[in-house]
Amino acid sequence: MAPVNLSHRRTHNLLLISKLLSLRDTASPLTLVLDSLEQPATPLLKEYIRRAKLSKVHVTLIAFETLKQPEGVDAFISTRRKSTADIAKEVNAAYQPAAASNPSRRRLILIDSINPLLNSKRVEPGFHLPSFLGSFIAPTSASAKVDASLVVTYHQDVPEAPQPNPYTPSPISVLTYLATSIMTLHSFSHVLAQKAARDRSLAPPVFGLEEEQEGILLSRLDRLAGTGTAEGIVIELEHRRKSGRGVLEWYLLPPASRYSPQHLKEVVTLLDDNVLYNPPMEQDTAAGDEEPTSTFELGLTDRQRREREGVVLPYFDAQHGDGPGEGGRILYDMGEEDDFDEEEDEI
Amino acid sequence: MPSQPPLPPLLAPYVSTLPDSSLTLISSILGATSNWLVLRFLYAALSSASPNAAFGLDELQNGAKKKVVLVSFMRSYDFWKTEAKRLGLDLTRLADKKQFAFVDGLSELFYAPAATATPASVSPAGMGSSPRTTLPMRSPPGAVPGRSPQPVRPTATAVRGNLAKPAESGIAKKLHFTGRGLASLDALEADISSVIEQQKSSMEDGDELLLIIDQPDLLLAATSPSMGIGATEMAEWITGLQQRAHATVLTLATDAPLIHNASTMSGQLATPIETEHAALAIGLAHRARSVMQLRTLDTGAAKDVSGVLRISRGGGMITEEDNLEEREALYFIQRDGGVKVFGRGES
Repeated sequence: MAPVNLSHRRTHNLLLISKLLSLRDTASPLTLVLDSLEQPATPLLKEYIRRAKLSKVHVTLIAFETLKQPEGVDAFISTRRKSTADIAKEVNAAYQPAAASNPSRRRLILIDSINPLLNSKRVEPGFHLPSFLGSFIAPTSASAKVDASLVVTYHQDVPEAPQPNPYTPSPISVLTYLATSIMTLHSFSHVLAQKAARDRSLAPPVFGLEEEQEGILLSRLDRLAGTGTAEGIVIELEHRRKSGRGVLEWYLLPPASRYSPQHLKEVVTLLDDNVLYNPPMEQDTAAGDEEPTSTFELGLTDRQRREREGVVLPYFDAQHGDGPGEGGRILYDMGEEDDFDEEEDEI
Repeated sequence: MPSQPPLPPLLAPYVSTLPDSSLTLISSILGATSNWLVLRFLYAALSSASPNAAFGLDELQNGAKKKVVLVSFMRSYDFWKTEAKRLGLDLTRLADKKQFAFVDGLSELFYAPAATATPASVSPAGMGSSPRTTLPMRSPPGAVPGRSPQPVRPTATAVRGNLAKPAESGIAKKLHFTGRGLASLDALEADISSVIEQQKSSMEDGDELLLIIDQPDLLLAATSPSMGIGATEMAEWITGLQQRAHATVLTLATDAPLIHNASTMSGQLATPIETEHAALAIGLAHRARSVMQLRTLDTGAAKDVSGVLRISRGGGMITEEDNLEEREALYFIQRDGGVKVFGRGES
């Protein structure tokens, strides 16, 4: 990647992820987080909660698989044995903005896993996923304006039940279509291992379920061979701007133990800026590939180059068409350092 | 060969200290069953003496007494009793002391005992037209659990009525599957919860109740999505039980056909049970604190290795201070039932 490009990405895309994670300007009303067993979304959700707490955003967790209310969550809504309409009602009731004093407070709604809902046998026949999700972002009662951001986690490795109607799109297609940002999570150590293999033109290794080895669900081992202490999660972000232009970027979120919960500055970095992922080029190789070294001076000075460009080559002269035998002479302007030799030179 | 300690030192930290409302998932395959590991959990919770004083675990075991409720869908009480005896645990005595309760999900799950009023009448071959549920009948324990072609009429009142019958000593309750869909799961949950509450009634402050559910995937396999029981419903059922216990240990089969056939990568059309089982197993791994995966040795059978145990962190919300070390070890089950757990290259 060219250095100019990288610095441009550094300024713009870091600002973008900072905006997305801190829920500023409602940059993304519906964020879809695609995770897998190899890299669960929990660290990212915790980061969302941490930032929401710092900026005093109201956090609601719709729990399809979380048992206990995690720290920092203001409203915890268990979905066990509840209809989707009830869930929507409860979520909207969980947050009552004080309309007069604080006209537009922001709220964050997290769904810890949408898969159980999509695979449920119990779901009402009239269930419509887009309007279910939409009811959180745009509540029907427009008495007080609330900027709500919805973060939906989808486990990619959980198989989907087949659609009853073969012509309806699968829920994941609907979700990716609706989402304003899609974050796909990867384990940093796996990304490093795959890059190391690609750099050597080997097939990148696969992990966990993709190994298709009997009895293996997860591969995540703390010390993956050859990657050292690579911790953190890699976020592959696809953000769709309002203009329709898409932004693609890879980020690295360091583990939560690396910074204090009150840390205000941006902790996310570009993946390309990481030393482990993109080791800095050695200086001498960068300088060495310009010219071969030799005892002769093979280069040209500026003046020499200028004068060389000024020389009119014989075939240009021949094209004037002054008649046969007239063109093609070597025309030479004597320089001041040239000696005139009567035997050789003719004017 | 010298006899092994009942709790292998390498395993002790993983089976002894289970944080509050945590889920531990044990995955097994046909060639590497999970019985020995379940027994180690039983032993860690129930053994009065603290054999691991040398490993700094005694302070955890001295303060709080632990109680265990074991719900078994695949093994009879006799099996667990005999196996526990080999470790020095007398389950019948512990049951009398109200430290242990066994819930039998095997012997009469789909079988109405002859004592009840309605016999299992053989209905004429009108299975297609009949709106009634046809439940598979279980053969008596001991034989291979197979399905009988004879449909058994589920009779909710009559079957549930025999709960007052004096059970075999040590068995707190026998589960019966009645009705269909969510109602039947609710009935099972109520039965198990009543046993849990019974145990809790004699608990003091600080006591912990460990719930072990052995192979609940049988329920999923024996019913079908058309009966309204799928992965989501099973997971909700487990959540309901989890809420009542301090910690939950769950065993599930993860044989390759049950996990990999349903993945999108295989490209073939999966059967409902493949889809649902994979969704259940992977979904539970997403919410588990730790996943203990048992598998056979990758390099084939060996004389002194029974299989590989890999302990990984699951996707569940874990607190910062709870750092579970991931590791992979080999295990060997000796003829006397003793188990040796050791790292690769050690013995």
